[in-house]
Amino acid sequence: MKIRAIELTNIRRFAGQVARIEGIGDGITVLSEPNEFGKSTFFDALHALFFERHRGTRAPVKALQPHAGGAPEVALEVDLPQGRFRIEKRWLSRAKACVTKDGRVIAQDDEAEAWIDSILGGGLAGPSGLLWVRQGVLGMEPEGTSTGERNERERALAARRDLLSSVAGEIDMVTGGRRLDGVVARVAEALGKLATVTLRPKSGGEWGRAVDEAETLRAQETDLAAKAARLSGELARRADVQRNLRELDQPDAVRRREDSLRAAEAAHLEADAHVAKLADAQRALKLATVSEEHARAGIERLEALSERLMRAEGDLAAARDLAARQEARASELGAVDVAGATASKAAQDSTDAIRKRLAAAQKARLAQAAQGRAEQLARTLVRAEELRATFEQDQARRTLLAVTPRALSAAEQARDDRDRVAAQLAAQSVSVSFAYTGPARVKAAGTDLSEGPHRLSSEQTFDLPGIGAMSIDPGSATGGDEAGLAAAEGALRTNLAACGAETLAEARRKLTEAQGLDEALRGAQALLAELAPDGLEALRHAHALAQEEAAAGADLPTQEDPVELEAELASAAENEASYRTIALEAHAAFSSAAEARAGARAGLASAERAADAVRAEAGDHAELAARLNDLRAEHLTHLARRAEAEAVCRRLEQLTQDLDMIAAQLARAKSVVAQAQTSRERFREELATLNGSIGTMAEQGLEEALDEVRGRLASAEARAARYAAEVQALSRLRATLEDARRRARDAYFGPVVRELEPLLSVLHPGAILQIDDQTLLPVALVRGGQSEALNILSGGTREQVAVLTRLAFARLFARTGTAVPVILDDALVHSDDDRIEAMFTALHHVAKDQQILVLTCRQRAFAALGGAKAQVIIRAI
Amino acid sequence: MFRFLHSSDLHLGRAFGNFPEGIRNRLREARHGALSRLAKAARDGGTTTVLLAGDTFDAETPAPETLRHALRAMAAESDITWIMLPGNHDSLAATELWRRIAADGPTNLKAVTDARPFAVAPGAMILPAPCTQRRPGRDLTEAMSVATPEGLLRIGLGHGAITDFSGEEGGTGIIPPDRAVLSGLDYLALGDWHGRMQVNLSTWYCGAPEADSFKHAVASGALLVTLDGPAQVEVVETGSFGWQVLTLDLLPGDDAVARLAEELPPPDLRRNLLLRLAATGRLPLADRAALESEALAIAPDFGWFDHDLTTLATDARPDDLDRIDRAGALRQAAEVLLAEAGDPARGQAEREISAAALSRLYAFALEVAA
Repeated sequence: MKIRAIELTNIRRFAGQVARIEGIGDGITVLSEPNEFGKSTFFDALHALFFERHRGTRAPVKALQPHAGGAPEVALEVDLPQGRFRIEKRWLSRAKACVTKDGRVIAQDDEAEAWIDSILGGGLAGPSGLLWVRQGVLGMEPEGTSTGERNERERALAARRDLLSSVAGEIDMVTGGRRLDGVVARVAEALGKLATVTLRPKSGGEWGRAVDEAETLRAQETDLAAKAARLSGELARRADVQRNLRELDQPDAVRRREDSLRAAEAAHLEADAHVAKLADAQRALKLATVSEEHARAGIERLEALSERLMRAEGDLAAARDLAARQEARASELGAVDVAGATASKAAQDSTDAIRKRLAAAQKARLAQAAQGRAEQLARTLVRAEELRATFEQDQARRTLLAVTPRALSAAEQARDDRDRVAAQLAAQSVSVSFAYTGPARVKAAGTDLSEGPHRLSSEQTFDLPGIGAMSIDPGSATGGDEAGLAAAEGALRTNLAACGAETLAEARRKLTEAQGLDEALRGAQALLAELAPDGLEALRHAHALAQEEAAAGADLPTQEDPVELEAELASAAENEASYRTIALEAHAAFSSAAEARAGARAGLASAERAADAVRAEAGDHAELAARLNDLRAEHLTHLARRAEAEAVCRRLEQLTQDLDMIAAQLARAKSVVAQAQTSRERFREELATLNGSIGTMAEQGLEEALDEVRGRLASAEARAARYAAEVQALSRLRATLEDARRRARDAYFGPVVRELEPLLSVLHPGAILQIDDQTLLPVALVRGGQSEALNILSGGTREQVAVLTRLAFARLFARTGTAVPVILDDALVHSDDDRIEAMFTALHHVAKDQQILVLTCRQRAFAALGGAKAQVIIRAI
Repeated sequence: MFRFLHSSDLHLGRAFGNFPEGIRNRLREARHGALSRLAKAARDGGTTTVLLAGDTFDAETPAPETLRHALRAMAAESDITWIMLPGNHDSLAATELWRRIAADGPTNLKAVTDARPFAVAPGAMILPAPCTQRRPGRDLTEAMSVATPEGLLRIGLGHGAITDFSGEEGGTGIIPPDRAVLSGLDYLALGDWHGRMQVNLSTWYCGAPEADSFKHAVASGALLVTLDGPAQVEVVETGSFGWQVLTLDLLPGDDAVARLAEELPPPDLRRNLLLRLAATGRLPLADRAALESEALAIAPDFGWFDHDLTTLATDARPDDLDRIDRAGALRQAAEVLLAEAGDPARGQAEREISAAALSRLYAFALEVAA
């Protein structure tokens, strides 16, 4: 289809007018007019012609009405393979649709709408919807969530599907198309009824119910099997119990048990009688034994008593002897002790007297020595006081002498400096000598000058009485250093003053004097140190002490010689020590004897008490002997009786049977009878219990129930297995279908990609577009290996991709033989100059076999597009 | 001359738990009804003696109502004398069962609880060999060699396997096949084998009066035995339900649905029939789908119906795949599944999954196309 002319009647700004575009060519046709000219009105009107039914009153239709009202009309002339047709639509008032060819009506109203649908290849859902590019479009699909926008998207998607199916052959033959979707949906539905997304049995689904039922039945089967096993066990046990009861109650068995018991009881009675006899004999033996042992013990006790009596009497005699000896010894040693003490006291008194005498003699001698020492110290003190006075005088003189060898040396150096300066000055000065011959005298500064030479160091005026005055100027050659000389002399004076002298000779003398005083002072100091090493005050204190000691012993006698007295005292002390030792030894011996005497006295008392006690118990010796004889006779009698009893016991014991064995036999016989009785009762009780339990379980029909549950379990498991197999098959089918669809889609997008590639390379050489397999539209631009989502690209790039995609689809339409015009209404508003040039190139590339109608207000920019120029002819209705 | 009806293996109380509830109850009821049918068969055959050669009850301790109903049914047939031998299912070890039978059984029922011969009619002795345990492990029929008064008919009554065919419980046969000769029996009435079988001239398994599995192909019934010289045995059908396995061996070109129709009984005879359809061979997808569809369609006609097409291979031809799709993803998926289903490198289970998936694809594709 190719558009040749568009005619608008009474639409928007063309109220009461007819606006017509003619001469639309095969390739690019550009309608370039300024804003508000009405280009979009053409666009909207054309869109309404194709997509709004003539009886429609939707907003897009009403939007075509001019303000003045009236019915909008659109007419379109198109070339089809069958020739040129004119399509007309009028809305709102006397609405109509009409298709004519060469003036002949082909179809009207609804037939005309159907005819329009047919040329669009699917009516409103047809491919033409793809190729309308509105002002400033950025995306490939209408955005928004309204119903209309959603429907628009669905229509576009369906159109793309159909388009791609046509260019790829048959869409169903490539991807399965909607049929594949249907099959996949059926698989999903079937799977969804049975399984979860992870292919587990779905709760409430047939599979899940089968699995749950199997699980429930399995639990029931386990429970019933356990009960059945218990029932079986109890039946077997009941049979055992019944057999045991029968065996217990068999008459032979009962008789055997009773006979055994009777025999055991008789044997036991006989054994009991023999045991009683033996016990009597044993008691008699025990009595005899006790009597014999009692007699023997009495004998032993009396013999021991006799021995104790004799020993006590011996002990008493020995104690008495010892006590007497200790008394005598104590008396003797007591006398010696008294004598020793007296002698020791006398010796001590003598020694004390001598010690007093010695002390007095020594004190007198010390007073004498102190008197001599006081005199000596007095002399030393006088000499020291004199020496100290001299020292202090010399010290005062020395203080007045300030000269030192260094000060003297400095003064001598100053004198040498002064002499050197003076010599230099003398050598440089002018000398004037006067020799008078008369009284007149030459004067200088009013003073008469003597005869002889006078040195001039500077200009000087001499009064020459009677003559006048004469000035002599030694000139610069003779100018001496008078100031240096004065300074040198000043220094000399200063140094001499430091020496405390006016001349060097005086300074030297004073230095000599000072050195002599220093020597004298060192000597006096050394002597003082010798006389009073601890100082004069200490010397004075020592002298006073010596005087006091001498005064203290002045009244004591001095006849006895301390040395002699000390010898006498030593002799007396030795004598005293000797007596004291003797006294101590005597006292110790007495004490020991006294202690021994006390011990002997106590031993005597104890022996007396022991002897008294034994006598009290034993009586006298005769009585004791009589009693002992009686007991010995009695013992012999008991000994004979015991032997006799022992013989009787031995005889009875030899005849005694094993009573334990007999008792064990009896116990066993009783036990057998009792056990039989107990077992019988126990078995009867168990039998009753088993009967009750078996009866109860038998009432439940356990085996039948178990058999039924097992059957149902097998059935449920088989059913679950069938569903599991079904899920596996469906899952396998789903995976296979998805895989096939994926591979088919890869092939499916081929045509779009092939058409897009050359167009895209105009703008982005080497770039490719990724196609979304759901929307069938580009979603990303891949440049240099980097994939960029379209929605993050610039507006210009997105706009260009949108236009290029439509051009690619237009080319696909053209290949199917249903070429549809591409209409661009102020598209490419976001593109820069370079890109828009490239887009023009792309448009021309497509326009070789594709009609493109461009509506633009950018007259200058689109001048570079080229193509045919369309014009709008307006006339009044 | 002595005539009696020889039956066994009623297995009263069998649960049939692996069947749906409806047919399950019907099967149980049919087993109970076998008692009256046996009584009628006896009467119709001119006798009032029915020998039950073991396994009258399925369990050692049947449900009280099972036992009570059976005893009441026997009592109701008051002109009939029931001789009931313990089998391996209801052996003497089931003491509670036999205690209850002794306590509650009707007077026309003789429970044979020991191996002592007894007179069943003037001139006829029964030599029983009741099962002492579920698996006694010895030849109980040795007891049949005991002497009886001269001139009396000797009728052995036993239960167990006689050859290497396994008993219903799988035990190895230990009854000598020539027991009748060895013990001088005029007839040996055996139970345990649920199908009918003649061992020799005077030794028979009568089979169950009401079938309970697909194992035995013959119609279930009892034996009317007349002893007047050599045993004369007449088969009397007593079963109310048919159990049938229908195997169709199919190949491409067969009209599977038509073949099935040919093999099936008329619709009015299907209600009391349990039928298991097993298809083998191979069929094109369309024919297979048609067979499966037909199987699902006729299933409700039967008392119970099951079909197993797992051993029926899919022989997919281009036409079949074309019906899925001529090209494109659907066709591609179908071809992949077909290849997998026939890929010998894959395990059997994997091949079956792929074949099933292909069948589903075929069905879904047709549904969607419709």
